[in-house]
Amino acid sequence: MGDAIDITSSAKAFIKQQGGVMTVRLSPRHGCCGGLANVAVAEATSPADPSLYHRHCDEDLTLFIAPALVGQGLRVDVEGFWKLRHLYVDGAALSAR
Amino acid sequence: MTTQQDTSSPSTTEGMGLFERFLSLWVALAIVAGILLGQLLPAVPETLSRFEVAQVSIPVAVLIWAMIFPMMAQIDFTSLLGVRRQPKGLIITTSVNWLVKPFTMFAISWLFLMVIFRPFIPAELASQYLAGTILLGAAPCTAMVFVWSYLTRGDAAYTLVQVALNDLIMLFAFAPIVVFLLGISNIQVPWDTVALSVVLYIVIPLAAGYITRQTLIRKRGAEWYDNVFMKRIGPITPIGLIITLVLLFAFQGEVILNNPLHIVLIAIPLIIQTFLIFFIAYGWAKAWQLPHNVAAPGAMIGASNFFELAVAAAIALFGFQSGAALATVVGVLVEVPLMLALVRIANKTRHHFPTKTH
Repeated sequence: MGDAIDITSSAKAFIKQQGGVMTVRLSPRHGCCGGLANVAVAEATSPADPSLYHRHCDEDLTLFIAPALVGQGLRVDVEGFWKLRHLYVDGAALSAR
Repeated sequence: MTTQQDTSSPSTTEGMGLFERFLSLWVALAIVAGILLGQLLPAVPETLSRFEVAQVSIPVAVLIWAMIFPMMAQIDFTSLLGVRRQPKGLIITTSVNWLVKPFTMFAISWLFLMVIFRPFIPAELASQYLAGTILLGAAPCTAMVFVWSYLTRGDAAYTLVQVALNDLIMLFAFAPIVVFLLGISNIQVPWDTVALSVVLYIVIPLAAGYITRQTLIRKRGAEWYDNVFMKRIGPITPIGLIITLVLLFAFQGEVILNNPLHIVLIAIPLIIQTFLIFFIAYGWAKAWQLPHNVAAPGAMIGASNFFELAVAAAIALFGFQSGAALATVVGVLVEVPLMLALVRIANKTRHHFPTKTH
C-alpha cells in the first residue's frame, strides 16, 4: 500500500481482526444553512461497489481507497476501547462535492 | 500527529452552492413573503396557531424537527473517542463556546439593546431582543462548521471531534445557561418550559438521529447511509429553515412594519459578538502555537450559531410573535456574509501558524 495510504501497525492488527478488509472513503456532512463538506473516513468493511475504489493488497489486507484519497499522505489509525474501537483517518482536510 | 497544510484555499463556490452563498437574500425574501402572507392571508397563521398540544404548536414542532433531525442524524459520536488527539484545540473551543461566548453575547447585547439603543427600542421589546440574543449565544454551531472548516482547509478528524463534543455538552449546558442569563436579565421563564424545549428540540432529535444512524448503518451500511439516506434528508434542514422563517414573519409582520430599523439594531451586537468570539479563540490558538487547520475550525464553531435551536427555543419560550424570535432570525440573516468574512481572515493569516503538530 506504501504510497497509497499509511496504516499504523495497531490499525493493521484491528483490520485483520475484523476480516482483513478496509474501505477509506469520503463521507459527506451537510451544513445547516446548506453546503456540503466531505470527511475522510475508514471502515473495516468492503465497499458497496468496489469498482469505484482503488484496490490495494498487502500483508493479508485488502484495501479499497476512494480515488481522491490515494497518495494524499493520509494515515489510518485505530482508537477507542473494547467494542468502541474504530478506525480514523488522520491528516485529511475536508473536501467539497 | 502529522497534518497536511495545503496553502491554497478553496473558493466559496466549491463548498457552497447558490442557496447557501445567498442565504441572506433568501432570508430577506422569506421575511417579505412572511409579512405578505400575514397581511394578505391572515387566516393562514391564525389557523396554524390553533394546532397545539400541551402548549406546543404542532406545525412549529414539525418544522423544527425537520430542521434539526438531519443535523443530529449525521453526528458520529464514536468520533468522541478522538478527544485526546488535539486536546489543546478542544480546550480552547470548549472554553470559548461554553465559558465565554454565552456571557459576552449577553454583555454586548445588553450594552447595545438596553443602554446604547435605549432611545430607539421600547424597554419591553429590547428585553425580548436580549432574550433572543441570549438563546443564540448559548447555541454554538453544530453542522455548518464543516463547511467553514472545509473553506479554511481545516483538519477533518478534529472538526468531527469538536462537533460531537460540542453537541454532547449542549445537551446539558444549554438550559442552565439560558435560564441563568435570562434570570439576571429579569426575564422570567419557567424551568419546566425551558426543560420541555430542551427535550423537544435537542434530546428527541438527538436520540432519534442517533437511533436512526445506528439502525440504518447496521442494516444498510455506512456508505448507503451517507450517500443515499443523508443525501435525501440533508437538504431538508435549509428548506425547513426558510419555511419556518416565512411562517414566523407571517406572525411578525406588524412588529417589522412598525420597526424596520430594529433588524439593523439587533444585527450590530450580533456582528460584534461574532468577530470577538472568533478572535478570542483564534488568538488563543495562535498563542498556544496550534496548527492552522485546528485553529480555524476551532474558532469558527463558536463564532457561528446553532440557529435552528435558538429559533426553536425562542418560539417555544416566547411565541412566534415575540421579539426574541425576531432576534434569533436576525442571526440567520447575517450568518453567511459574516462567516465568509472570517473565512477570508483565517485564510489570509494562515502563515502565522505552524504547519505541523504532534
